[in-house]
Amino acid sequence: MKALDIIVCVKVVPKPEEVTVHAETRTLDRAQARSELNPPDMNAIELALALRERHGGTVSLLSMGPPFAAPYLEVGLAMGADRAYLLSDRLFGGADTLPTSFALAKGIEKIGEWDLVLCGEESSDGATGQVPAGIAEWLGCSQITYAMDLALLPDGRLRGEREIRGGHEVIAVPLPAVVSVKLGVNEPRFMDMERRRSPEPVTVWSAGNLGVDPAWLGFEGSPTVVGAVWQAKSPERQRRFLEGMPQEKARLLAEQIRAAVSPQ
Amino acid sequence: MIPSAYSPEAARGLWVFLEQEGGQLEGVALELLGKGRELAQARGVPLTGLLLGQGVEGAARQAIAHGADHVLVAEDPLLAPYTTDAYANVATQIVLDRKPETLLLGATPNGRDLAGRLAVRLRTGLTADCTGLAWEGDTGLLLGEVSGFGGGVMASIKCARHRPQMATVRPGIFPLPSPDPERAGRIELVPVSLEAGEIRTEILERVRHEGVDITRAKVLVAGGRGVKGDFGPLTEFARLLGGEVGASRIACDLGWIGRDRQIGQTGFVTRPKLVVVCGISGATQFTVGIKAAGLIVAINSDPEAPIFEEADLCVVDDLFPILEALIAELKRGMP
Amino acid sequence: MSEPAGVRVLDDFAWDEVWGAAKGAAAPCFQCGVCTAVCPWGLVQKEPVNVRRLIRLAQLDADGWGEAIWLCTTCALCEVRCPRGVPVSEIILALRRLAWERRSVPKGLPTMLWAVHWDGNPWDQPPSQRQAWAKGLDLQPFTPEHEVLFYVGCTAAYDRRSQKIARSLVALLRAAGVSFGILADEPCCGESVRTAGQEGYLAEVVAANVRRFEEAGVRKLVAVSPHCLDMFRSHYPPWDGFRPLHYTEYLAELLDAGRLRFTREVRGTVAYHDPCYLGRRHGIYDPPRRLLAAIPGLMLAELPAAREDALCCGGGGGRMWLETHAGERFGDLRIREALGTGAEWLATSCPFCILCLEDSAKVLGAERLKVVDVTELAVRALGEASLPHPALSPTGGEEKGEGAPVRGAP
Ligand SMILES: Cc1cc2nc3c(=O)[nH]c(=O)nc-3n(C[C@H](O)[C@H](O)[C@H](O)COP(=O)(O)OP(=O)(O)OC[C@H]3O[C@@H](n4cnc5c(N)ncnc54)[C@H](O)[C@@H]3O)c2cc1C
Ligand SMILES: Cc1cc2nc3c(=O)[nH]c(=O)nc-3n(C[C@H](O)[C@H](O)[C@H](O)COP(=O)(O)OP(=O)(O)OC[C@H]3O[C@@H](n4cnc5c(N)ncnc54)[C@H](O)[C@@H]3O)c2cc1C
Ligand code: SF4
Ligand code: SF4
Repeated sequence: MKALDIIVCVKVVPKPEEVTVHAETRTLDRAQARSELNPPDMNAIELALALRERHGGTVSLLSMGPPFAAPYLEVGLAMGADRAYLLSDRLFGGADTLPTSFALAKGIEKIGEWDLVLCGEESSDGATGQVPAGIAEWLGCSQITYAMDLALLPDGRLRGEREIRGGHEVIAVPLPAVVSVKLGVNEPRFMDMERRRSPEPVTVWSAGNLGVDPAWLGFEGSPTVVGAVWQAKSPERQRRFLEGMPQEKARLLAEQIRAAVSPQ
Repeated sequence: MIPSAYSPEAARGLWVFLEQEGGQLEGVALELLGKGRELAQARGVPLTGLLLGQGVEGAARQAIAHGADHVLVAEDPLLAPYTTDAYANVATQIVLDRKPETLLLGATPNGRDLAGRLAVRLRTGLTADCTGLAWEGDTGLLLGEVSGFGGGVMASIKCARHRPQMATVRPGIFPLPSPDPERAGRIELVPVSLEAGEIRTEILERVRHEGVDITRAKVLVAGGRGVKGDFGPLTEFARLLGGEVGASRIACDLGWIGRDRQIGQTGFVTRPKLVVVCGISGATQFTVGIKAAGLIVAINSDPEAPIFEEADLCVVDDLFPILEALIAELKRGMP
Repeated sequence: MSEPAGVRVLDDFAWDEVWGAAKGAAAPCFQCGVCTAVCPWGLVQKEPVNVRRLIRLAQLDADGWGEAIWLCTTCALCEVRCPRGVPVSEIILALRRLAWERRSVPKGLPTMLWAVHWDGNPWDQPPSQRQAWAKGLDLQPFTPEHEVLFYVGCTAAYDRRSQKIARSLVALLRAAGVSFGILADEPCCGESVRTAGQEGYLAEVVAANVRRFEEAGVRKLVAVSPHCLDMFRSHYPPWDGFRPLHYTEYLAELLDAGRLRFTREVRGTVAYHDPCYLGRRHGIYDPPRRLLAAIPGLMLAELPAAREDALCCGGGGGRMWLETHAGERFGDLRIREALGTGAEWLATSCPFCILCLEDSAKVLGAERLKVVDVTELAVRALGEASLPHPALSPTGGEEKGEGAPVRGAP
């Protein structure tokens, strides 16, 4: 069976609880927030490394983001990835999922050799979960979204277990394919400290390097616009004490519980 | 700008994608019909359902009863199970042919799988996992209310110059409309051109989940030392909510319930929409296992129990009478 | 042996280096088996952990140590008994390090390390909440003008139960008129990284912390947890003037200097549990006892196994992150010992000990016995006048609902 060349798309995200909405300007304030690798992307890296162990090949990381993302890619390199690429340019800024998936697809094509692209199921910031299917469409290949496990079949196709409502299905798709990986499906291995001490350099590509029309990138290339942002619930729990006789408390609770649980 | 497949000027109508499984509409499809009815009325446009599958006439009639004016039905054996290629190809043909202005889908795994693919193929905008939908006053554009950053930030998103304006909608947000079997509507069969060769996915197996897996449960009722060995009421309550029973380590240690239900640091980390915590003091080793929960309800007889620091709704009381009353409440609300 | 393609072959250098160290440390062992005989696992499992064999394997450069290396709580009981002074737990940690190299580690440990990496604590709690425990206390950010740096540590900062220890200690420091501050972005000391066997990552953590402490001008440091203390004393490079202390040592100093006075009676009997990392590791047996003895009205009882012989609570050596089955927890044995003394309090001075012992007390239904930290009893002995803050009132430090009767308990 042939070796697998895998590209894992990883996003550097701010810690969700540290992002606030600026009271006056009504804009997002993420300046104070610490960053991390998007959690399910860590599961995707682990899955990629496990596949490489089984079948041989390479694991490359690809991210689109500001220059400060590079040290986070080094974390993935220390986990065992072979190479890392960062698409970084002001022109990529303000992208919704259409130009994001487009730029990532162009980055994948530029990397060249690949059989499989792994993504996380969704990011912890935008949380649309739309980028993986978008990448698959731009690349014209098959997709497995919300995957819990992957394996290569003897006939060379990719077998994936994916979540569906109330259960899961097992499907097979031909390679090349794009897969989004569910949060928590494995335990990401910790960094190998030998690798951490001497990281491979991260290759940084600008919009120019991708050779695409800048109008298809970033804010300019985004069909959606954000009308307004506002702070949702406070990060703290409500801590609301219900008063009354047991019957009364139970009635109030039942109301809230019904509202919280989906009717399906 | 990335030009969309057709222009706003050419676009007409409000569509909802009707996800079905085995000829039965999914709950979120019904919810979309309810919300779609409201939006269509406000706009003075008909509500169109897009229904792909095999043997779905019943579902089409169900859609009309729930608010659709018009259902476009694409029937083909190849559409019986959901596959990305089959659904994306057929939906693209119909959308390009009829050019809806707005297309709403349920944010289920398959709904998102399709929507993400379709939006790029049509080169249009897609608003994700909406918890609210409205028409914008002056522009008449669809405003989708979305959340990000772990639910801490909300945003409203619109799609100005690309059509269709697409959105996926979170299941369980909009109420189920009550059906009216007398409602009139038009069911239109649309021709399908789909070859087996277009479908790259092969479904090998489908599995319904059985056995306990509290990490997947949407609703958890968790008990600790305070339940004093009697998980009966918790089990019944969980069953009424379609949820699972979880436990603190001590409840497992005491042999009251299986290890596979232990929540926490050395048990399972869970992410339910709702967890009802009964008779658990709220040690950090327990609460790390529920910190990602949507709503946390705590029932504890000790007003000082630390669990109340990390709960949304707090009930200081003996858990047994409260659960008994809750069970009665829920049963009353059942059809 | 053929490695599957793509697997990074073990770094021979790292391997040799670790083996070399383990082997060197193991060399004096003459295989008497005392370690196996005293290891507390023999008290709770049918098969004792064959410690002697692990040391033999280290001597022989041989494989096959299996899961046993993850059981060690690094309690050092075997070390103080070993006739040859073999640093058994160090050797076991070296074997863990090799286990990391071949990625055969228990589930949960990588997640704990990632939590340290991304969140700066092993409890997987948000860094933004690190100071939540100090709400309403108006603590000062540390400056070199302060007498001491109060190093809270991850467990006392995040664990709800242990937060009470930190708050009690604040009350005591204030009552003694100590000027102290805390670090705004207090880093994790790396204890859990070390005991997990991740020497390599530990080096990164320690280097960053030393830089941080030096920049902040840290000299005298008071730690809540003996595990943090052990890190600072034994695993950080010493720097000029750096003097890490456990709070029991520091409070005993304050007592001697007459700055701290216990004026209120606390009637009852207390048994004291020696935390391994305070007692056997650092010989701090007397300061906590002196503190308890200075409390008017309080009687001190000794557990059957005390001081150097004390039984471990089961929480050291990374065991806080691994499940120990009911019935196999050392804490249960310790609670039974304490019940035997007739004491109403079992006091100790380590957050891990408190968590394990309190949990065992609950499982055993030992409602008569309250597990407390030394600070929590000490705070009750402060006179009204010296209570600096309403939030620190002794009743605030008292556990409620702890003695809740356990009816259904077997
Ligand atoms: C609150 C909020 C709401 C938003 N709502 C929408 C919306 O409704 N519609 C819309 O089009 N845009 C939306 N956006 C913008 C969206 O976040 C960006 O387009 C973003 O660049 C990618 O989308 P995502 O984060 O949702 O990725 P997702 O699709 O959730 O990410 C899934 C996976 O794709 C990969 N991936 C995603 N981004 C990158 C990247 N930059 N580099 C490498 N890999 C990546 C990762 O593997 C990731 O796990 C929103 C943003 C915010 C902050
Ligand atoms: C290494 C280690 C790992 C651990 N891992 C885990 C873990 O993974 N998961 C976990 O849960 N714990 C874990 N623990 C144990 C944890 O520290 C706590 O001891 C445990 O969670 C307490 O369980 P509890 O809340 O059920 O019991 P308790 O703390 O005894 O609480 C019982 C509660 O019930 C209330 N109550 C009593 N009667 C009633 C009534 N009639 N109505 C309403 N309320 C009532 C009481 O007020 C009290 O608050 C771990 C501990 C250690 C040391
Ligand atoms: S007690 Fe010391 S000398 Fe005896 S077997 Fe154990 S390590 Fe070796
Ligand atoms: S340090 Fe303690 S737990 Fe570890 S082998 Fe020695 S006696 Fe056993």
